[in-house]
Amino acid sequence: MPDKLIVSTSPHILGCDLTPKVMWSVIGALIPAAIASVIIFGMPSVKIMAVAVFTCVACEALIQKLTGRAVTIHDGSAALTGLLLAFNLSSNVPFWIPLVGGIFAIALVKHAFGGLGANVFNPALAARAFLLASWPTHMTAFTRPFAADAVTSATPLMMFKEGKVGTLVEMGISYWDLFLGRRGGCLGEVCIIALVCGAAYLLWKRYIWWQTPFSFILTTGSLCWIFGARGYFQGDFLFSILSGGLILGAFFMATDYVTTPLAHTGQVFFGVGCGVLTFLIRKFGGYPEGVSYSILIMNAFVPLIDRYVKPKIYGTAKAVKG
Amino acid sequence: MDFARIMTIAVSMIFINNFILSKFLGLCPFLGVSKETKPAVSMGLAVIFVMTCSAVITWSIYNYLLIPFGITYLRTITFILVIAAFVQLIEMVIRKFSLALYRSLGIYLPLITTNCAVLGVTILNVDDFFIQGKPIPGSFFFATLQAFFAGVGFLLALIIMSGIRERLELTDVPPSMQGIPIAFIVASLMSLAFMGFSGFKF
Amino acid sequence: MKRLLHEFTKGITIENPTFGLILGLCPTLAVSTSLGNAIGMGAAATFVLVCSNTIVSSVRRIIPDRIRLPAFIVIIATFVTMCELIMKAYAPALDVSLGIFVPLIVVNCIIMARAEAFACKHGVGASILDGLGMGVGFTLGLCVIASVREILGAGSIAGKQLIPGFQPATVLILAPGALATLGLLIALSNLMKSKKSTCRACRKGGCG
Repeated sequence: MPDKLIVSTSPHILGCDLTPKVMWSVIGALIPAAIASVIIFGMPSVKIMAVAVFTCVACEALIQKLTGRAVTIHDGSAALTGLLLAFNLSSNVPFWIPLVGGIFAIALVKHAFGGLGANVFNPALAARAFLLASWPTHMTAFTRPFAADAVTSATPLMMFKEGKVGTLVEMGISYWDLFLGRRGGCLGEVCIIALVCGAAYLLWKRYIWWQTPFSFILTTGSLCWIFGARGYFQGDFLFSILSGGLILGAFFMATDYVTTPLAHTGQVFFGVGCGVLTFLIRKFGGYPEGVSYSILIMNAFVPLIDRYVKPKIYGTAKAVKG
Repeated sequence: MDFARIMTIAVSMIFINNFILSKFLGLCPFLGVSKETKPAVSMGLAVIFVMTCSAVITWSIYNYLLIPFGITYLRTITFILVIAAFVQLIEMVIRKFSLALYRSLGIYLPLITTNCAVLGVTILNVDDFFIQGKPIPGSFFFATLQAFFAGVGFLLALIIMSGIRERLELTDVPPSMQGIPIAFIVASLMSLAFMGFSGFKF
Repeated sequence: MKRLLHEFTKGITIENPTFGLILGLCPTLAVSTSLGNAIGMGAAATFVLVCSNTIVSSVRRIIPDRIRLPAFIVIIATFVTMCELIMKAYAPALDVSLGIFVPLIVVNCIIMARAEAFACKHGVGASILDGLGMGVGFTLGLCVIASVREILGAGSIAGKQLIPGFQPATVLILAPGALATLGLLIALSNLMKSKKSTCRACRKGGCG
C-alpha cells in the first residue's frame, strides 16, 4: 500500500505553480531597488548583480544535474538568492566575491540540506556572513554614492559606531538623504523608497505578511529610541529605522517562507527577537550593523518556534467550555 | 560586584566563546544527544550542574592543595580524578533518592565524565583567574560564574541543534551528507551566526 | 604476522579515528589550523596512545573489573602529564599554540576507546601496534584537514607562503570554517565509501 502520508517542511504551498509566481514577484518587487542601486552606484552595481545572479542560477543547475534531480532554475528561487546576495554587498567588491558567495549560498546553505524548502538558514545572509568572515577588508569598504571615482567613505551606521558623530547634522545628511539613498552602504539597502514600494506591492498581493517586518522594525526603532546614545528616550527613532539594512532585511529576508515561522504569533516572536538582537549588536557589539546576524540567529530558532507555536488550523474553532 | 564584568563573562561564555561552536569542547555528546529535544535538554542541565560543581571543587583543590604544596603540574590528573569521582558520587546519590530524576538525567552523567567540556572549563578557570600561582580578586566567584555560563552556552547550542536536526529528519538531505556531515554544516552556520556577537563590550 | 600488520594498518584506513570511527573530534577541529600544529598534536596523542595501550595491556589481568575505568584514567593522565612537561620544556612554542588541548588529550575519546575496546582484551604486542596505527591514522586525518584549512584559509603551508596575490578565506582558520571543512571531508569520505561498496556489489552480483 503506497504511502498516503507525505511529511515535509514548510512552505506547504498549495498548487505547484505558486512557488515560481511568488519568487518572480519578489524579484519584481526588488527591481526598483536594483534600478536605484545602478543610479546611485553606477556600473559596478550591474556587474555585481549580474555575477551573483548568474553564479547562483548556474550553480543550482549544475548541482541538480550532477545529482540527477530535476533542474528547477526557472522557479526563480536561485535568481532571488543571487539578487539578495548582491544587495548585501558594497559596490566596490571584486567580481569573485559574489562568485564565491553565490556558490556558498547555493551549494552549501541550500542544496547540502536538500534543496528548496529544506534550508534552515537564509542563503543570501549566510553567504554574506561567510564573506565578511573571510575577506573583511573587501566587505567593509564602502564608496561614496554618486561618485564617479571609488572613494571610500563610511556609512552612517559606521560613523555612529565609531562615536565621533552622534546626530544627522554632524554626519552631514538629512532624513531625506537616508530615505532616497544619498548615503554609503550596500547596493540594495540604501534606497528606502524603492524598497518600500516593492514591499508595499508584496504586502498588497499577500505574498508576505506584515507581522514580521513590522514587529522587527518597531522593536529595533523603539529600543534604539529608549536606549539612546545621549540618554534614555533620546534616541533617534527614524535614523535607526532608515539606516543600515533594516528595511531590506525586515521586508525581504525576514519574510522568507522557508526559514521563518509559519504561524503569525511565531512571526511576531521572530520579528521581536530579530529586533532585540539587532539593537544589541548595534549598541554593544563590534559590528556597526546587526540585521544580517540577527536574522541568521533567529533562523536557528525557527524549528523550535514552529514546534511550540502552531498555526491556527483553518476552519476550527476553540472548544466551548461548559 | 562588577555588573559589566559579569555580563561580559556571560555573553562571552554563551555566545562568543561558546564551548561547542567556538571552542570545540564537548562535541561527542553534542553530536550524540542532539537528535531530539528532550534528551538534549536533560543532557544540557546535567552538564550545567556538573560543570558548576566541578569548578567549585577543582578551584578549591587548586588553591588550597596544589599551590601550597607546589604540585600544580599534577592538576590534570587531580582534576580528572576529582571530576570522575564527583560524577560517580552524584550518580549514586540521584539513583538512591529519585529514580525519576535518575532516568531523565542520571544516564547522561557518565557521558559527561570523559567530556572535554568539563575538564576544559576547570583548566580554563585556572588559566584565566590565577596569575603566577595567586588567585585574582573575586577569582572563586568568577570561576564559578564562568563554568555556569559555559554550561548554559552548551545547553543553548544543544537545544538549537536538536530543533534543527528534528526538522532535518523531514527533508531530503543527500545520502553522503546525512547524519554527522550535515550536523557539522549546521554547527558551522550556527557558529557563523554567533560571530555577530564578537567585539561585545558593556 | 599478517594479522599483526593488520592491527597497525586498520587504524590508518578502515578504522581511521577521524573519518571512520568519528572520534577525537574536539582536538581535530581546534588544532588543525596549521600543519605544524597538526603534526605536533598527532605526535603527542600517538605517544600517549602507545604508552597507555602498552601499560593497560600489560596489567589487564591484574585490574579488577569494577575499577577499570578509573584505572585507565589514572594511567592515561600520567602519560599526558609527562607529555605536557616534556612539551613545556622542549617545544614551548607548540605548547602555547596547542594550548588547552594538551591536557585535554586525557579525555580524547580515541585513547579511552582504544584502552577499553582493544588494549584490555589483547596482548601487549598487538596493543602497541593498534596504538601506533590509530595514532598515525589520527595524525594523518589531522594533517589532511590542516592542509585544506591552512592552504585555503591562510595561503600558506607549514608557515610558508604559497601563491602571492592569492587572498585566502580567513573564515577557514576560524571556528565555522573548521566545522564546515570537517563536515565536507566526512561527507566526501562517505561518498567514496558508498561508491566503493556499490562497485563491489556490482562486481559480485553483476550489473543489470
